Amino acid sequence: MNNREWATSLLHPLVAVLVGLLAGAFAIWVVGASVIETYAEMWKGAFGSFYFATNTLTRATPIMLAGLGVALAFRAGFFNLGAEGQMVLGAVAAALTALYLPGPGWLKLAAALFAGFLVGGLWSAVAGWLDAAFKLNLLITTLLMNYIAILFAGYLVTEPFKDTTGSAAIAQTPMIDRAAWLPKLFSGMSLHAGFLIAAVAALLLYIIIRHSAFGYEVRMFGYNPSFAAYGGIVRTRVMLISMLASGGLAGLAGTVEVLGMQYRYIDGALTVPGYAWTGLMACLLANSHPLGTALASLLLAALQTGAMGVERNTEVPLEIASVIQAVLILFVSAKFSYSFWKRRKARESHGTTV
Amino acid sequence: MEQLFDISLLNSTVRMVTPILLAALGGALCARVGLFNVGLEGLVLIGAFAAIVGNHFTGSLLLAILLAVLCVVLFSLLFAYMAINLKANEIVVGIALNFLAVGLTTFALRTIFEVKGAFYDKNMDGLPSLTLPLIDQIPVVGPIVSGHSPLVYFTFLLVVLMHIYLFKTVSGFRLLATGENPIAAQSMGVKVRRVQYLAVVLCGVFCGLAGAQLSLGQVTMFAEGMTAGRGFIALVAMMLGQSNPSGVMAASLLFGFMDALSIRLQGFSIPTHFTLMLPYVMTIVAMFLFRDKSYLQLAQRGGGSDR
Amino acid sequence: MTVLLEMEGITKLYGTFAANRQVSFTLHRGEIHAIVGENGAGKTTLMRILYGMEQPTSGTIRINGEVKQFADPADAIKSGIGMVHQHFMLFPSFTVAENIVISREPTRGVWFDRDEAAARVRELSERYRMAVDPYKKIWECSLGMQQRVEILKVLYHGADIIILDEPTAVLTPLEVKELLETLKNLAAQGKSVILITHKLHEVMEVADRITVLRSGQVTGTLRAKETNVEELSRLMVGREIAEMQRREQKQGDVVLAVDDLFIRGDGGKPLLDGISFRVHAGEIVGIAGVSGNGQSELIQAITGLRPVDGGSVRLLDHPVTNAPVRTIRRLGLAHIPEDRYLWGAAKDGSIVENAILHQYGERSYSRFGFLLQRRLRELTENWVKQFAVKTNSLFEKAQHLSGGNLQKLIVAREIGQNTPFLLAAEPTRGVDIGAMEFIHAQLLKKRERGDAILLVSSELSEVMTLSDRILVMYEGKIVGEVDGREATEEAISLLMAGGGAR
Repeated sequence: MNNREWATSLLHPLVAVLVGLLAGAFAIWVVGASVIETYAEMWKGAFGSFYFATNTLTRATPIMLAGLGVALAFRAGFFNLGAEGQMVLGAVAAALTALYLPGPGWLKLAAALFAGFLVGGLWSAVAGWLDAAFKLNLLITTLLMNYIAILFAGYLVTEPFKDTTGSAAIAQTPMIDRAAWLPKLFSGMSLHAGFLIAAVAALLLYIIIRHSAFGYEVRMFGYNPSFAAYGGIVRTRVMLISMLASGGLAGLAGTVEVLGMQYRYIDGALTVPGYAWTGLMACLLANSHPLGTALASLLLAALQTGAMGVERNTEVPLEIASVIQAVLILFVSAKFSYSFWKRRKARESHGTTV
Repeated sequence: MEQLFDISLLNSTVRMVTPILLAALGGALCARVGLFNVGLEGLVLIGAFAAIVGNHFTGSLLLAILLAVLCVVLFSLLFAYMAINLKANEIVVGIALNFLAVGLTTFALRTIFEVKGAFYDKNMDGLPSLTLPLIDQIPVVGPIVSGHSPLVYFTFLLVVLMHIYLFKTVSGFRLLATGENPIAAQSMGVKVRRVQYLAVVLCGVFCGLAGAQLSLGQVTMFAEGMTAGRGFIALVAMMLGQSNPSGVMAASLLFGFMDALSIRLQGFSIPTHFTLMLPYVMTIVAMFLFRDKSYLQLAQRGGGSDR
Repeated sequence: MTVLLEMEGITKLYGTFAANRQVSFTLHRGEIHAIVGENGAGKTTLMRILYGMEQPTSGTIRINGEVKQFADPADAIKSGIGMVHQHFMLFPSFTVAENIVISREPTRGVWFDRDEAAARVRELSERYRMAVDPYKKIWECSLGMQQRVEILKVLYHGADIIILDEPTAVLTPLEVKELLETLKNLAAQGKSVILITHKLHEVMEVADRITVLRSGQVTGTLRAKETNVEELSRLMVGREIAEMQRREQKQGDVVLAVDDLFIRGDGGKPLLDGISFRVHAGEIVGIAGVSGNGQSELIQAITGLRPVDGGSVRLLDHPVTNAPVRTIRRLGLAHIPEDRYLWGAAKDGSIVENAILHQYGERSYSRFGFLLQRRLRELTENWVKQFAVKTNSLFEKAQHLSGGNLQKLIVAREIGQNTPFLLAAEPTRGVDIGAMEFIHAQLLKKRERGDAILLVSSELSEVMTLSDRILVMYEGKIVGEVDGREATEEAISLLMAGGGAR
């Protein structure tokens, strides 16, 4: 990438963020609140104190992991929209592993992390396999498999593995042994070691995509599948591995949330906040760049925790965050500057005869 | 078992199929001009919400439906502008549109009705069910066909109208041409963009109606995310039906039947989680059984790599 | 003869690059006027301006003495201009009649009167003596028939001036002959024809006048009767074309052996039907044929991109039938693909990323699964230098390279593999004459090193200059073999049309 391309690739999300905030301002104005005051509250809610800032990082953790998973699949040109289901299955698998595996706490923890990654990954790889072997459209199968996964996980915690000790109304597993919890990073704060896992994952994924042979295959596949095939890169292999890792990261997102925050699998606790979909948005915002996805996850998490602050202190509801996010994503997909750039470039390289 | 399959199951199939069929017909129009509209889900959701708003504030069903159509058309214009003028990836725009629909409806639910989750007002009237004279006297057929909302009948009429439009009129011919080879159509002076806009706007109208049927024809309430993937199932119906009105209808009927069956099965001693899963599982199974190259091409063009 | 169209002082600038500079051009009523020039000479730009697809930077267009400005093709069509594009603008699943009447459909109210459309097409086809079946679907028609549809379409829309862009590229020699007859017939009925081509023999046969373009400028407008092929090519290229030196060489061992290769088609007709041949070390075997006669399938079968239903391929005596691409490449295959944008490159990838496709996994270029970026960059740098690929930076995206430069990069990558066998498919399609000469020289050099080359090209002159032996493909079969030194264009053309002994 040369400098000008760098500039455009950065400019793009920035413009989108601006448009998103403008749309949010419009929504706030419609509700009849003060725009400046509301945004000030939002800032305070996200970064106003050390407590709020770590809260934001906590919320960013599953978003980041899910977003990284999506980013990997997108880089290879596969529209994996099943992060939510992969996350939920990973989470439930991790919770059950930590609950029922005998042994010391560290073993339970390690096994739970692995199980979460594996189950999320396998669920995603099934969709990859359906595409590779039977040409079922991946976008649709991953979407539909979300509903199946969420319902199945819901079944597990309402019937066979339901926590019968506490109040019977909530569908959830029993609580995991304290020894298998992910440690908190600061006492009294919600931030847990899962954030470190996410940060390391972002860095690793960046290095793998940019510098490894497999990353090269993924990129070439995303650029032009025929070119990759011509060079002897096998589609099925790239698809299965990247879908496995992609779903695995989503599964890990659910896993760290279970092991670091909730200490049990609670039905709906992962889907209602929309972690996976926010991760997808972060990935779109960053055009599937791993480090960018991590940053965008922080931004979107801040938007959400900020909106909670807004709801606490003003009459604007916290759903303002979803409006801002959606507009932001809508505009990041437009290619104004990009198409303008392309047109100019075409002229320079004298696009005469085809 | 005599309780499982009976006439009222088929009756509810006809009712359940309507939103799916409407959205799938809209999606088919978009597909026919070369746009893969993943935003159907969000468009229907907006329609469902707008219909409730219209009904609540005007008390008129007609105005409620009109408001639903108007709102959804507005959002489909946004889709058209992003995908056609700004050349954004249509899949990304569709996904973003779904986010926008969820965000806006929950936001508006809070600000307009000051409730979370769902809005229900017992003073609201749903769409009336029409009893068809004479036909309802016929045994078996009568109870299945009669007693639905006007939108249901309109939808099945629409299948016929759309077939005639696409394959018999000049305007429909140009629409097909635009989808088949936009560059060639353009070179012959067909206003490609105008045709694409037309298709997207019509899709908006259909999805608006679908939303109205969902929130007024079946339950008379709005719940967050109440489309529950029906827009995506409609997408599959469109693909399986190869964007032909009659094919789309056949596929939609299959999925509508699954929807009705999944509700019916709740009365039996099967965990509800599994009965609710049925439509999604069957959709994947249907994709598997009715694999066909021609729809794959479109799906690949839409769902393939975008960079 | 009355002047129908005048283009005067047409200049078209893209940035600082002039695609057309002060081009003037006149067309008489009932005349066939050819525009010739090499790739990139500005022929297509000129015609796109006339057809309203591009706006000139300066200059005027007059029709019947009246100044015209065309904002889009619809304007041009209204002024009686029609264009038959090089890549047909047709709707494959529509009928012939539907394709012809589109945008001026006969109607009854809002209804599309398809029978009336067919009747009008039939009438048109009789008047201009071009046989078509109005109810046939386009995808069922031969390319020759499709071209007739294109011409009828232009006539249906009321064109007096018909522009044909490289109309003979996809036709069999027989169809070419028919087309040229049709054009003469049209001119006789008062239509004016502009023929864009680089095939000088066709031009000499049919044109009344010829305008030659070079680097965006007119280098001469001549009467066909008063000139010859030699003069035209001199005006086109601006210098004598260097004669290729092909040293005699002894044939070596068999490198590629193809036996009885068979691929089923969708309909009843097989795509490949019992193809057998050998390529020896130190020779170039050319495969000639009108494109679409199974060459693509043969290429993909040999290189592992498409499974075959029968027969065998052996490379250096190893069986490679239906083997994975990587395996075949490791055994000694390099492959210049027929479509550089479809197969040959990742447009959004950098030059380096495009260059290292076959090396990134090798032991000397990666360690523990990670790429040794510096070595890969040096490798790319070497190739870029050796093959004179013009670029500002190795990290520029491939899509910013011109067609010729990208092709040179691909050729560099493939020849750089130093394999005993190279499959070169359309190695010079759409590149300028400088790049073409360069690539040809590289292929001959590889041959002299004792490597085997299979050259597949729809450009007959290319096959004839380079090949030691020429095989001709027709409808999925090899219908003849000719010695490269003794081959004549006539003999090969006959075979290409399926007219040889089978």
